[in-house]
Parts: sequence; C-alpha cells; structure tokens
Amino acid sequence: MILTIVGSTFALLPPAIAARMRSEMSREPRIHIIQNMDNQSRWKAQQANPLFADGRAMRLPVEGTVARSEIRIDDHLERGRIMMDSQEVWATTVPAGLEIDQVFLNRGQERYNIYCAPCHGWSGLGDGPIHRRAQRLVDGSPSESYGTVWVQPKNLHEQMYVDQPIGQIYATITLGARSMAGYKAQVPVEDRWAIAAYVKALQLSETEAEQELDSATDDASMGGE
Amino acid sequence: MGRYHYVFPKWSNLLLPGALLFGATFPLYAIYVVAYGFSPATTDVGYMPKQPIPYSHALHAGELGIDCRYCHNTVEDAAHAAIPPTQTCMNCHAHIKKDSPLIQPVRESWETGEPIRWVRVHDLPDYSYFNHSVHVNRGVSCVSCHGRVDLMEEVWQEEKLSMGWCLECHRNPEPHLRDPSLVTNLAWKFDGEAKEETEYHAKLRDQFAINPSQDCSACHR
Repeated sequence: MILTIVGSTFALLPPAIAARMRSEMSREPRIHIIQNMDNQSRWKAQQANPLFADGRAMRLPVEGTVARSEIRIDDHLERGRIMMDSQEVWATTVPAGLEIDQVFLNRGQERYNIYCAPCHGWSGLGDGPIHRRAQRLVDGSPSESYGTVWVQPKNLHEQMYVDQPIGQIYATITLGARSMAGYKAQVPVEDRWAIAAYVKALQLSETEAEQELDSATDDASMGGE
Repeated sequence: MGRYHYVFPKWSNLLLPGALLFGATFPLYAIYVVAYGFSPATTDVGYMPKQPIPYSHALHAGELGIDCRYCHNTVEDAAHAAIPPTQTCMNCHAHIKKDSPLIQPVRESWETGEPIRWVRVHDLPDYSYFNHSVHVNRGVSCVSCHGRVDLMEEVWQEEKLSMGWCLECHRNPEPHLRDPSLVTNLAWKFDGEAKEETEYHAKLRDQFAINPSQDCSACHR
C-alpha cells in the first residue's frame, strides 16, 4: 500500500516538471531529450566559429577581391555622378537600366518608409518617430537622456533639397551627410535609386499641391472681385 | 507457525492484480509523459535567453514603429534573416543615449570591430532547411512564426517550430496569408466578415499560386 502511494507520487513528478516548463519562460539552453541530429558540427549564417581568429563562421572577402555584382565601375549607378562637357556633375536622371515607372516608385515608397521614415517622417517633413523621441530625450532630464545630441532630420521639402539633382540625393542616401549615416550597406543600389526617385516624387507632390492651391486661391479671389 | 512456514503471506494475493494494473496503466503513463514532456511545447517554447544588451523590441519595433526590415534587412532576399551589424545600431545610437551604460557594449563593438554576441532564440534543427524570403515574399507574416515581437521586451520563442507545426501550415496555408505589403505589420488583422476573410485568403493563394510542398525534400534537402 505504502509502495503504491510512494510510487504514484513519484510518477506525478515528470508531468509536474513538464507542466512547469510549459508555463514558464526559460533562460537556460533548450534541452532536446531525443537529440536526433539537431546540432551537427557545422556552422550556420552568423554563428561564432572558434576555429578562426576573429571568431566568425562567415568569412570576409579576401582582400583585393570583388564579389559578383559588387564591382564599382559605373559612376552614374554607383556614385550618382556623370560627365558633362568633360566635367563631373550630379546626375539628373536615373542610370540606364532603371526606369521611373509606377512599380519603381512604389518600391521607392516602400523602401523609404522602412529606412528613411523613422527619422524623416512619412511625408518627408523631418518629423519621424525617432526624431520625436530624441527630442523628448533632449528636452527631458539629462540623467535620462544619457548624452543624447540631436539635430532635427532635414525637411526634404526645403528649397535646398528640392533643388538637388536626383544623383545628389542618391549620394546622400549612399554615403550619409552630417549626422546621418550612409545606407550603402543596408540598402541595395537599385533600391537607393528607387528611394531617391520617390523623394523627388514626394517633393513634387508638395510643390504641385502648393501651386494648385495657389492657382485655386487666385481663381477664388478673382471670382470674388 | 510450523507447517505454514512456506505458505505465501496473505498480501501476495495482491501481486497478480497489482501487476496487471501496473501493466495496463504504465504504458499509458509512459506515452503520456513522452508526448507531453518531450514535446517542443515543453522543451522549446518559452526559451528567452539573456542577451548581452537588454534591447527592447517593444520600444523599437512597437512604440517607435521601426519596420522589422530596417534591421533584419536580408529577410526578403536570403534564407537567413540577418541580425544587424553594429553599424545599424549606431545609425541612431551615435547620437541617441550615446553615453548610456546599457549601450556601452554597442559602442565597444563599434570601436573594436568585435561583433556583439547576440544569443540565437529561434534555432531549427541542423537537418532542416528554411528560407525566410520565400515566406515573406508570398505574404506569410513574421507574426505567424515569431509571435508579437513588437510587444516583447525580451524576445522568446513563441511557437513550437516543430515538423508537425510546419506541416500544419503547409497543409493549410490560407489562414496565414496576407498582402505581402503587410507582412511586417504584426498587429494587422483582417477587417471584415469571416466569409470575406476566407475569400481574401483564397484569392491571395490563387494570385501567388501558393502550393506549399509536403514532400520530405522540401525541408530535408
């Protein structure tokens, strides 16, 4: 009788442990009771590999080599620069092979919203959520801002940027400017051009709307007289 | 006692029914313990390793609304959704809270070139193949496998990531489909009647010709 009671009490232990593991978060590495071949002696992307001095499983390209599609010989495509009258100037068009159509602009809008809008805002006014938070930190107590230094991201509708050729906007996205980091590593070259084209479209939408508004008010005031 | 010395004691009458009872219940018990205790719902779900930096997805992806792809920018082109390089952190943190002790490891990594050793949360068995790009480009949202990361202070494993779990969706993908432009919108829910929702999913499946493989070789290649 005692044996039965002790036995069944012990038998309850494994389900109790399992129930606890199910209901709680765990900091400990996962235990696979049946290992199968879950962990093999090979490395996946971005894993650490102690065999290499730098500890990375993924190797950097050998110095002096160029990976496919990464060769930089097209100045228009890579740097936004073209030759005009034997002088190097900013390109005012997208490079050959790219075409500004609805698909390209939609792509630009999507990429802009991912990579640029956090700071520059969805309409380009320089009022994105990162700006708003950084400004709150700067305005708040210094003990919470931890040395935050913030310059408001540029309003892309300022005349200076409206006047910039698309090649120059592309170059800013690529290399960054002042406190803005370059997005060369994060955004592929075609997408950077798509973003530049979208920025141009965004600027146009603002000035066009203003002109329309102006002419509309003109009409209205003329009608009023 | 005398001649009764060699007779089995009275309790031994219980041995046979006891053994029968044990024999009948123990296999059931063993099956239950293995099915319940060895399941990935027990061993894997809820894994929340301590990271070198207390990075909050709830703040960055949730409150600030930064798109998943700002950091995990390879997800649409590669099998692997990359953990961002330190540079991505420094795009903002070169200016914002740059002296915070919590950000110190990021600054160190930036200065020395030594990568930050983030701990991997979602790790499939090494004999299985998974490609992020094919899923997100066809409108399977991050949320289907990773849960509401935009609400997590620290990331944990939400789903089982077991073979049976993968197959559930490969057999019936429709409930997990949405317009591919909405894949990183983790809070998105279909707005409308249940019937319209079914039609919406069916239409997407049709549009992208989604026919997920259930062959062994789809994942074990």
